[in-house]
Amino acid sequence: MQNLATKYGGALLWIVGLGLPLALNDAWVAIAAMFAIYSVVALSEDIILGRGGMFDMGHAVYFGIGAYVTGILNVNYGWPIFATMPVAMLLAAAVGALLAGPLIRLRGDYLLVASIGFNAIFVLAMQNNLLGLTGGSDGVAGLDIPRLFGFQLASQNSMFWLDWVVLGLVILLMNNLDRSEFGRTLRYLKQDELAATMIGVDPRKAKTLAFALGAAVAGLAGTLFAVQLSTVSPSSFVFTESVTLFAIVIVGGQGSVPGVLLGTALMFVLPEVFRGLAQYRYLVFGFAMILVMVLRPQGLWPRRRARA
Amino acid sequence: MLRKIGTSVAALLALAVPGAAAMAAPSPIKIGVQAPITGAYAVEGQGIEKAVKLLAEEQNSKGGLLGRQIEVKVCDDQGQAAQAAICARQLVNDGVVAVIGSYTSGAALAAEPIYARANVIQTSDGTSNKLLARGYKTWFGNAAPNSAEARFTADYMVNVRKFKRIAVVTDHSSFATGLADAVEANIKSDHGNVIDKAYINAGSQNFTPVLTQLKSLNPDAVYFSGYYSDGALIKAQMAQLGVKAVFVGGDANQNVDFGKIAGTAAAGAIIINVPGPEQLPYPAAKAFVAAYQAKYNQAPPSVFTLTNADGMRAVLQAIEKTNSVNPGKLEHYLHNMKQFDGLTGSFVWNAKGERVGSPFTAFEVQADGSYKIVYPAAG
Amino acid sequence: MGTFIQQMFNGLTVGGIYALIALGYTMVYGVMRLINFAHGDLCILGAFVGLTFITSFGGGGHLGAAMVIFAFVAAVLVVAAAGVLLELAAYRPLRKADRLAAVVSALGASMLIENGIMLVWSPQVSVFPSGLLPTTTYHIAGASISFVQVMIIAVSFVLMAALYLFVNHTRFGTAIRAAAIDQDAARLMGINVNRVIASVFVIGPALGAVGGLFVGIYYREVYFTMGWTYGLYAFIAAILGGIGNIPGAMIGGILLGLFNAFAAGYLSSSWQDAITFALLIGILLVRPTGILGERVAEKV
Repeated sequence: MQNLATKYGGALLWIVGLGLPLALNDAWVAIAAMFAIYSVVALSEDIILGRGGMFDMGHAVYFGIGAYVTGILNVNYGWPIFATMPVAMLLAAAVGALLAGPLIRLRGDYLLVASIGFNAIFVLAMQNNLLGLTGGSDGVAGLDIPRLFGFQLASQNSMFWLDWVVLGLVILLMNNLDRSEFGRTLRYLKQDELAATMIGVDPRKAKTLAFALGAAVAGLAGTLFAVQLSTVSPSSFVFTESVTLFAIVIVGGQGSVPGVLLGTALMFVLPEVFRGLAQYRYLVFGFAMILVMVLRPQGLWPRRRARA
Repeated sequence: MLRKIGTSVAALLALAVPGAAAMAAPSPIKIGVQAPITGAYAVEGQGIEKAVKLLAEEQNSKGGLLGRQIEVKVCDDQGQAAQAAICARQLVNDGVVAVIGSYTSGAALAAEPIYARANVIQTSDGTSNKLLARGYKTWFGNAAPNSAEARFTADYMVNVRKFKRIAVVTDHSSFATGLADAVEANIKSDHGNVIDKAYINAGSQNFTPVLTQLKSLNPDAVYFSGYYSDGALIKAQMAQLGVKAVFVGGDANQNVDFGKIAGTAAAGAIIINVPGPEQLPYPAAKAFVAAYQAKYNQAPPSVFTLTNADGMRAVLQAIEKTNSVNPGKLEHYLHNMKQFDGLTGSFVWNAKGERVGSPFTAFEVQADGSYKIVYPAAG
Repeated sequence: MGTFIQQMFNGLTVGGIYALIALGYTMVYGVMRLINFAHGDLCILGAFVGLTFITSFGGGGHLGAAMVIFAFVAAVLVVAAAGVLLELAAYRPLRKADRLAAVVSALGASMLIENGIMLVWSPQVSVFPSGLLPTTTYHIAGASISFVQVMIIAVSFVLMAALYLFVNHTRFGTAIRAAAIDQDAARLMGINVNRVIASVFVIGPALGAVGGLFVGIYYREVYFTMGWTYGLYAFIAAILGGIGNIPGAMIGGILLGLFNAFAAGYLSSSWQDAITFALLIGILLVRPTGILGERVAEKV
């Protein structure tokens, strides 16, 4: 069983984070908000990759669908931001379940490359102005400021609170997932698919559900992302973004909530800290990635820690 | 683990409040640079950074502005929307008066709403129509808008050269598709004939499949709206495949490397642009290019280095003439200049922040790699 | 007809380059089950090394074929050394770990090499001098094929055939195949597995460097982000053919090149990549382990 730190570590980090706007200026609050959004996507990737054991390297698709749904419904049809949220989640989940059809028939690296393919097709579809809605390479610009119970969430701090609350809910979801029957099913499947099948697990159903759930959460993050940037464009959802999400989960620790949060911090916040290095920063960053993996092959905060 | 987070939060804080100690001297005037310092457009981004720093240094050696020194704050947006939004907040937070950059339309577009809200001037070579559509009062495009270039291009191809079968080729970038769409629309309004619109993947190098297909349609001109590294290969591969059509390239094809990459095949290519850094006839431009060369031991990478330098120069001039760093006053000044003597020619800004007055020309690449103006006729 | 033959040669040329790069992916994967995401960057490093060699020793004028061959040798040596170093520093410590750890280490290495190239050379496009090779063009049934294209196709096939013979018909090749099947068993049979792995990191990057330098000489331009693009396509080629399988990488590379050419030519240039990827996914659904991949239960 996982230890207490891993179980409650995520929640603890979340509470500490609540204090961030008190300590940081607007620019760093914006980074913290982006951190929260990317953490949500990374946690959703972890459902498929870390818990489901499926090498999904096209996760930016579901993130992008959420962002585009919010952008299009808000800008073209005048929907309020929060009304677009359930649609973003549902459509992302539907696409996740749909793509899972072919994907879960493949294994390991073949699944990985097929998901890269879906990512490339998605980006091209957005660039080609699919159904005349996605705005081509420029994307969709000029989203409204979200309103909640009559309040405008205009300041960076209020956007941060929104993102942070959603992150909190997703962390709760992940902790519940660990304890749920579905979470256990995924663990059996990942460890030994044959044995799991023998005790009555339906692998197709469980894997499809993992994709749908992961996609729905990523879609939710997409809404937040669209709000934070007030612009949605194809370049935010290219395959390299999926690679980053994949790396976050592995760097942080598969199936570990605090691990994924730390992984996001490393992969997303560290480049911000390295800004002072100017053109050297990604050289140093690449080196840091190798170093982290060599020193902690199980991730920064693995689910099961051999040594404390 | 928590202890580590504590230290990194402390480190973040330390980074976030720089310069708190330097209170004695009059505080400097801060100018931001938002540009792709790393990533695929790094060369252009680093060019913008170097140009702005050079101009700031020159100004400071003359005693600064309003008795204050100019301080340049640089933020790397990698040419990406998400990073651009972070940069915008970062620079606003640093208290900059104006921001020069970014290089790509996409990054400029993602940052502008934040600058507009904070009342910070942004001047960039971005030309996406969406930048104009929202009527941002802090937006000043420093490169010629797509609309002007497209008008000139269509007129040249349809009415001057009398091409009858034009193929339009573009990549998937925001800039190139915008320009290609505008050129296509202008050709049609001039009753020209667009026989095909084809797409290439920027950077994929192998364009022979698309060009082979175009060849079978017998075009007399192939117009390409994307970047020089691809344009030069298109020209070279057209020659290799025996496509007889004339190559006409948009402004991003103008680069000294176009001729080097296309080699002997480069001769005869037409490129449509405002004059490049090395051909700008104005003395101020020559002096700037020479100073840039002297300081960095390399030439400015493209004309966009100079258009962004013009953005910086206009901002400095506005501060000097209005004797203020009040954003409202600066915006009013910039919108109402009668004439700005830019390194890239004289121009003004209209109410939408669109650059008006750009002397487009059609160049022909010569066998020795030099450019010759073919339209409008010299003199 | 001319158009069809032309498209076939267009596809074969770029397919030959993909195949050369794909061999590096597939050899490393075969022995270590590692997707070496830094491989594409190593190949482009080869192009830069070759270019530096040509410009510093060639003086920019007309160069003999000998100079071009020397440039290839220099590129192969430097890149092979970089490959071995990479294995030692970034992959060897992770051999017993979850294999995804090494994948992420490879992603870091890719970033490191790419940005290293940017810092050492420049973020700008680097241009190869003209006239390195004859510019003769042959006309066959309405199609134009240049000498460089013919050379790329021919050299690619010769190198691939040589590698195939080496792996299947020499003692050391047998050792490589044994280590690919079961490293522990191979060790018990007296095979020096470390040497086998090092050799894979010499051969793969060396072939990749040849591919990278071909790219430079054919297209005459190289820039630092190219490694990622070529690497991705080559990796897809390796998967398409059945990763870990040497003839598979050749078939995958050639097919990918042909797909791309025919998709752009006959279907739609704006959906070119989407069509290519849809074909790839379609093939994987029919053959879930690639065209020549074996049906084996996967060890995770």
